[in-house]
Amino acid sequence: MTALPLRGLTVVEVAQGVAGPHCGRMLAAFGADVVKVELPPDGDWSRREGPFLTDDRGPESSALFLYNNTGKKSVLLDWRTTEGMARLSALTASADVLIEDWTLPLREELDLATDAFTVPNPGLVELCVTPFGLSGPYARWNSSPMVQLALGGYMYLIGEEDREPLTLPGRQADYLTALTGYAAVQFALWERGRTGNGRFLELTMMETVATLHQYTYVMHTYEGLVRTRNGHRWERQGPFATYPNVILPCADGQLCWGLAMEWQWDLLCAMMGREDLQKDPRFDTRQKRRANAEAIDDIILEWSKDRPRAPLFAESAGDWGLVTAPVLDLGEVLDDPQYRHRGMFQRLDHPSAPAAAYPSFPFHSSLGTPELSRAPLLGEHTDAVLA
Amino acid sequence: MFDSALSDVRVIDMTRVWAGPLGARIFADFGAHVIRVSDPRTAEQGLSLIDRELNRNKPNLAVRLDTEEGREIFLDLVAITDVVVENFRPRVMPNLNLGYETLSEVNPGIVLCSMSGFGATGPYSNYPSLGTAAEAQSGIVSMLGYPGEPPLPTGLAYADPLSGLNMAAAVMNAITHKRETGLGQFIDHSLSDSPVSVLGEYFLARSVNGGQPRPAGNRFKEDTPSRAYAASGEDEWVAVSVTSDSEWRALRRAMGDPESLDRPEYATPNGRRQHEDAIDAAVEDWMRDRDPREAMERLQEAGVPAGLVAKNHQVLSDPHLGARDFFVELEEPKFGPRRYQGNPIPGNSLDKRHWSPTSEIGQDSESVLTDLLGYDNDRVERLISENIVGVHAPSD
Repeated sequence: MTALPLRGLTVVEVAQGVAGPHCGRMLAAFGADVVKVELPPDGDWSRREGPFLTDDRGPESSALFLYNNTGKKSVLLDWRTTEGMARLSALTASADVLIEDWTLPLREELDLATDAFTVPNPGLVELCVTPFGLSGPYARWNSSPMVQLALGGYMYLIGEEDREPLTLPGRQADYLTALTGYAAVQFALWERGRTGNGRFLELTMMETVATLHQYTYVMHTYEGLVRTRNGHRWERQGPFATYPNVILPCADGQLCWGLAMEWQWDLLCAMMGREDLQKDPRFDTRQKRRANAEAIDDIILEWSKDRPRAPLFAESAGDWGLVTAPVLDLGEVLDDPQYRHRGMFQRLDHPSAPAAAYPSFPFHSSLGTPELSRAPLLGEHTDAVLA
Repeated sequence: MFDSALSDVRVIDMTRVWAGPLGARIFADFGAHVIRVSDPRTAEQGLSLIDRELNRNKPNLAVRLDTEEGREIFLDLVAITDVVVENFRPRVMPNLNLGYETLSEVNPGIVLCSMSGFGATGPYSNYPSLGTAAEAQSGIVSMLGYPGEPPLPTGLAYADPLSGLNMAAAVMNAITHKRETGLGQFIDHSLSDSPVSVLGEYFLARSVNGGQPRPAGNRFKEDTPSRAYAASGEDEWVAVSVTSDSEWRALRRAMGDPESLDRPEYATPNGRRQHEDAIDAAVEDWMRDRDPREAMERLQEAGVPAGLVAKNHQVLSDPHLGARDFFVELEEPKFGPRRYQGNPIPGNSLDKRHWSPTSEIGQDSESVLTDLLGYDNDRVERLISENIVGVHAPSD
């Protein structure tokens, strides 16, 4: 990597878990010097959350922590004490960015105003990431990964009609907020380059999820429709219906057919040797194809159910230019030739945890891609930083 | 104002569908000058409602890039632009003779961000993709579904919102580098990569001990209960997560300390997980006839993480989002005022009064060519009459 645009930037990270730390991980990878301040004695709570890489479940074996804290320094400092808060203030006085996750109740308990750090250091960009923010009727509420997706309007859209709605795997609201936070911090730093002034940025997970909708709101505000969940198929209502956009079995797994564009139907029929269907009145609009989804599934399955996934994908996507993809499990992703070609995973050693495959970045620059470096041991840099 | 943070940044948005328009919208919300370049031949079908949700604050220039003069217009624009974003298949921009080398000859500082399905090179690079297929490829679908059943898609085309955010991140890296060095770069973003980076902990674990999480409904770690429970009303649900012993005690309190939950073996996460069915049955009974919002508020006031599983209109009328001024009302010339989501950066302090609704295809062609590029009126009229440039003709 020849271009690390954030080199020279100093970041103090007090936030725990994923939303703040994953943002810090991005800043670190692109050149910033990130000091992670961890509370004694056990540090960031994600050190005690799974999945774990070793059976002892020790503080250096959480994959959640190891992944989201690459490239940082770790300092043990109890900012809940007066002396600790003074030392934190000293650290932030010369920093460019502070990432914290102090909720309204915690701020009241600590008697911590929102300008406590930006007044002494007007150039500081402070990113405050919380589930619901510091104002509004939910500001004192508790949260969880599922609750975020429920209130942000995602969960109602996932799962089968007439059954319990489903949440997404892992901690998706946190990751979405982390990526939004990374953009927010860079916007503020960009502005600071012009004005010299920093910002207090109050970013919430609920608003992040509520923002990231494709047509959920216009479906109601223009069409008066409730957007529903559709199981293994795509949308069925109004102008948003499209088909075949579905996951179907094949001989050795599942294939996603993502044919949202009008012209792809004719191509699909041609691939299957069923040009007769191109003029079939049951299927001549997206809406009609969606309304007759079961009939289309039967036609596709007749052609595909005994064929293996890999050649199906190569033929449909490669030879015919149809939008399809195999449903890969995690091991298959690690072995997939395209992900390997892109260097999507970097193997990192660690003094206490096993070497593991770490996802890098979904984008590569012609100037290079950063090399990740391992997460710090608990308090590894306390003496060096606070001395 | 923070919403003019990027007022010295100029972006050309050539993207379609969701990921690209979303990423470019973030720039436009923060005052960047984002010009959306469309093919005038698409004006006939007009804008979809998806387009209207994702393309506010972006003037629209309609130009035929497959004509030599149209290409010249585009390069004139590139010469004064910081960022070009496109999400064609990798061969399309070079085929138009608008690849990175060509653009950087016109403007060495240009940042070209390509958002293809699988990336610019590699065995699948010329395969098309969309958010639905890309999420299947990435592994996230293999973890989603009801216990013991086949995997389900997210229903969200989840690779798209992630890619929009990643595009914003990558472009900010690049223009920051450009501000210091004057040099642009080519960014090769892959739709199929985006969901991989939000499953990092699971990939680390898989690479070490072979663990593959299977569809588990709403189960999360050892948390019990961790479910959505049906409430009164049509298809109304409340998500409830108990992530600690203190939240378990709070749940019992909020439910009025029912005898069925007063058992010592429920005191630990492991014990609750072992008796999951009995606990679920008790919460189901309690929830069934309750108003979902009242149940959520009662649980939260006791300290239990709970949220109603909000439908689109419930998000649009959510009191918390309302109190924080999250939404924006845009006056749509054809339709009247419509409510849209705001921007989560930076919370509730964004001034949205000057935001404009999505431009029709070609609506701003003339002003871009004359005011921005300095073309004279004769030339602009000729380009329009020769159908190289499209303008919006109001139908009513």
